[in-house]
Amino acid sequence: MIRFTGVLLALLFCLPIAVGLFGTIIPATGLAPELAPGNGFSELFADPRFWPSIYLSLKTGIIATVLALLLTLLSLVCAHGTRLWHWLNGVLPPLLAVPHAAIAVGLLFLISPSGWLVRLTSPAVSGWTRPPDLWVIPDSGGWSLIIGLVIKETPFLLLAAAAQLPAVNVDAALRIGRTLGYAPARCWSRLILPLLYPRIRLTLLIILAFNLSVVDVAILLGPGNPPTFSVFLLSLVSDPDSRATASAGALVLAAGVAIVFCFVFVLEKIINHIASNRRESGQRGRALPYLRKSAQGVVALLLTVSIASVALLFIWSFTQRWRFPHTLPTNWTLNNWTARSGEFLSPMITTLLLAITTVLLAVSAAIAWLECERRGSVPQLDWLWYVPLLVPQVTLLFGWQAAALLTGTDGLWLTVAWSHWIYSLPYVVLILAVAWRELDPNWNNAAAVLGAGYWRILFKVRLPILVKPLCQAAAVALAVSVSQYLPTLLLGAGRHQTLAIDLVTSFGGVDRRVIAALAALQSLLPLIAFIAALVIPRIYTHRRVPV
Amino acid sequence: MIRLEHLLNHCKKLRNLSAAVLISVTPATTSATEFDAPWEKILDEAKGQTVYFNAWGGSDRINSYLSWAAKSIENEYDVKLEHVKIGDIAEIVSQVEAAKAVGRDTAGNVDLMWVNGENFAAMKNKQLVWGAFAHSLPNAARLQDSESLTMDFSVPVEGLESPWGGAQLVFIYDTAVAEKPPRSATELLEYVENGGRFAYPAPPAFLGTTMVKQFLHQLTDQKSALAQPVDQADFEAVTTPLWNYLDALHPLLWGKGKSWPTSAEKTRQMVDDGEIDIAISFNPNEASAAVKSGQLPETVRTYTFDEGTIGNTHFVTIPYNAKAKAGAMIVANFLLSPEAQARKADPQYWGDPTVLAIDKLDTAGKALFASIDLGPWALPIGSGKTLPEPHASWATAIEQAWLKRYGK
Repeated sequence: MIRFTGVLLALLFCLPIAVGLFGTIIPATGLAPELAPGNGFSELFADPRFWPSIYLSLKTGIIATVLALLLTLLSLVCAHGTRLWHWLNGVLPPLLAVPHAAIAVGLLFLISPSGWLVRLTSPAVSGWTRPPDLWVIPDSGGWSLIIGLVIKETPFLLLAAAAQLPAVNVDAALRIGRTLGYAPARCWSRLILPLLYPRIRLTLLIILAFNLSVVDVAILLGPGNPPTFSVFLLSLVSDPDSRATASAGALVLAAGVAIVFCFVFVLEKIINHIASNRRESGQRGRALPYLRKSAQGVVALLLTVSIASVALLFIWSFTQRWRFPHTLPTNWTLNNWTARSGEFLSPMITTLLLAITTVLLAVSAAIAWLECERRGSVPQLDWLWYVPLLVPQVTLLFGWQAAALLTGTDGLWLTVAWSHWIYSLPYVVLILAVAWRELDPNWNNAAAVLGAGYWRILFKVRLPILVKPLCQAAAVALAVSVSQYLPTLLLGAGRHQTLAIDLVTSFGGVDRRVIAALAALQSLLPLIAFIAALVIPRIYTHRRVPV
Repeated sequence: MIRLEHLLNHCKKLRNLSAAVLISVTPATTSATEFDAPWEKILDEAKGQTVYFNAWGGSDRINSYLSWAAKSIENEYDVKLEHVKIGDIAEIVSQVEAAKAVGRDTAGNVDLMWVNGENFAAMKNKQLVWGAFAHSLPNAARLQDSESLTMDFSVPVEGLESPWGGAQLVFIYDTAVAEKPPRSATELLEYVENGGRFAYPAPPAFLGTTMVKQFLHQLTDQKSALAQPVDQADFEAVTTPLWNYLDALHPLLWGKGKSWPTSAEKTRQMVDDGEIDIAISFNPNEASAAVKSGQLPETVRTYTFDEGTIGNTHFVTIPYNAKAKAGAMIVANFLLSPEAQARKADPQYWGDPTVLAIDKLDTAGKALFASIDLGPWALPIGSGKTLPEPHASWATAIEQAWLKRYGK
């Protein structure tokens, strides 16, 4: 019975992945002429947009990932142990909860020629009475997209790294290094990073895969002409005449991501080789306080940009009039919220229903799986959960959509919820697995000795002890579900208008103030969940433990 | 190896079979709607249906208008209207086509769609439209007698789509910034050469294509070729002046011909931000609505090129495999009611010109239209000459040629 549950869970998880991959491979190779006529690959390679969009995706994806990694290392080396570090730890989790698309919209409001940055400095400092025509956002080089990805992915990587610091004994390593006379940066590069990097490598690869294949942020911040490769593919997939081309492109994208991964592996080897030689050199290095300060400045700037982007969403959502170059709106209003509450309500309910379902399904599935694993009826399959995060969404979802069209399951609420589950379960399992495996088995034994059965122990002992990671996992699942654009778009057949869909669809033309309200609303849901995840365990534990 | 074709055929048969079984079990309830059935019967059948109306969702005013319509329709007819907000209706045309390819001939996802021009032409061509339902709508009796309502981009409408509103390319400029706005394509080039700021959306964005068609209409010396299908014309000869013009214009645009506004609404936003001087719109009353809702300064005015600008009519149509056809007809009819058309024409709500002939309305209907205040910001009534749309086949040809030249 237990084994059956475990196997069923794994099947439910693997089925769409397998179907998705086959559903992409088959039309691409011309085996389904009725669904997707034509030779996908030859049409793809003949398309004039092919090479420019591939180049753009590689450029933005790789640069954004490298910058995120550098900024993460910079934060670790220069901020760890300082006041900035405490501040970072407080600010990063909620910032991480804000959906990519929402922060992208805020960033646009911030850095465009008529954006807040220019408004704040005009005309007093800059002398501009009209927006400068020196740059445009989104720019054709993809730099606004890169900035958008960096400000979103750096917190993710930094938090992943921070979570691993205790495991690599960072304080002890720093102490030993300093005693031996190494400069702080050297302590990190010689002693800590070689241990830390392997632990954040998978997160880095997830970020790389995401950056190379992201759709919603690329629609909002990326150039349109040509767009990034995955946006280009998305424009092809809805037309049956070019589905074969889109599917072929999705395979090329997956292969591209794999090739970039291989480069990363080679690069690791090379760096590792150089680093191990340098480690033996014994050079202590000098402390570089100025560099340290300016690096802290860069990290602080990055965070300020993110926070300002989110703040700007809220400011615009209460704006009646705000013309260039005023620093703040000249007229404020509640109208953007109240006059449209009806229109916001329906996508918000759809979003919430999907998110709550996803949370319930993902958390209970993760508990079931980890319990099966603990009792030895299923093996540890941590690698499996990473699959949907490493395969480009486009590759998986084009195929899944084709299969859904064929079976008539597209547009079903269940199909959309299933896809959200697939994308949130990995995070939930991986967050809970740590807590699950660390929980002292003696709690279990003690309860069993007192005569409690399995279910009683689970609900009265294990789950209450783990309430904190459970709430965190639930908040992450909710944030993941709220931000899902592509699965909802492709599998929802237009039947499930979530905030994520509304935001991207309406972005082209709708009133900026309404867009801001939509994005603010989309950020608010996961933010509330994150606060709840902090507060609920405290109240809960407080109530249970007699003072 | 099992060929997927066989599998597909198998699925198709299975689906047809299950559809057949369903139909035989539930005799003539939903799927048997006739487009020429008596209106009483349509009203009856529509009760309780949900109509998925796939319409562009990029304008908050249009979205608000449709949620108002949904409320009225639900109260009056017991039909639920769901506005499926989409980015480009061409994608939905493809979806319906895909459904036809896999044999989903009943219970389709789309009940009503907002189309015109090449999308209607494609649907008519591929037999994705349902039937001449538009002739059965009671409110169709009060439509204008205009060729624009019977010929959609030179393609005969034949009742396969029902008119919804009129449109004309107009320019909105800020008098505080531009004293003398350009009144022709040539003047526009001079305007940007002298530091004026302008941008238009990149085709295939709807108004981007329209703008290019406008340029073509003004610049070509073979205007008559535009009314014929594109394959009957010497495309190179007709369009060469256009490309020469755009080659000169693009480097001087905001974004330097490398980045483009995503939509016409975006150009309106850019005028408000001061990034550009002149916005384009397909709605002569847009500026009025925008000023009233605080999206443009009161100093804006609307005008057209002296030679006139391209205008057309937009429609709604019912796909052949729609699930709620009766409901869709109710919605299409409601959209033509004087009440709905007058609200749509009011810039306070949307400001989209009506397709009804005001003189055919009763006193109450006339009063509804008389009470609309356009303000000084809209295109003064009767001031802009309308140029006909080129034949529907030109749109795709122009878009592709444009993308090939400037899409890299």
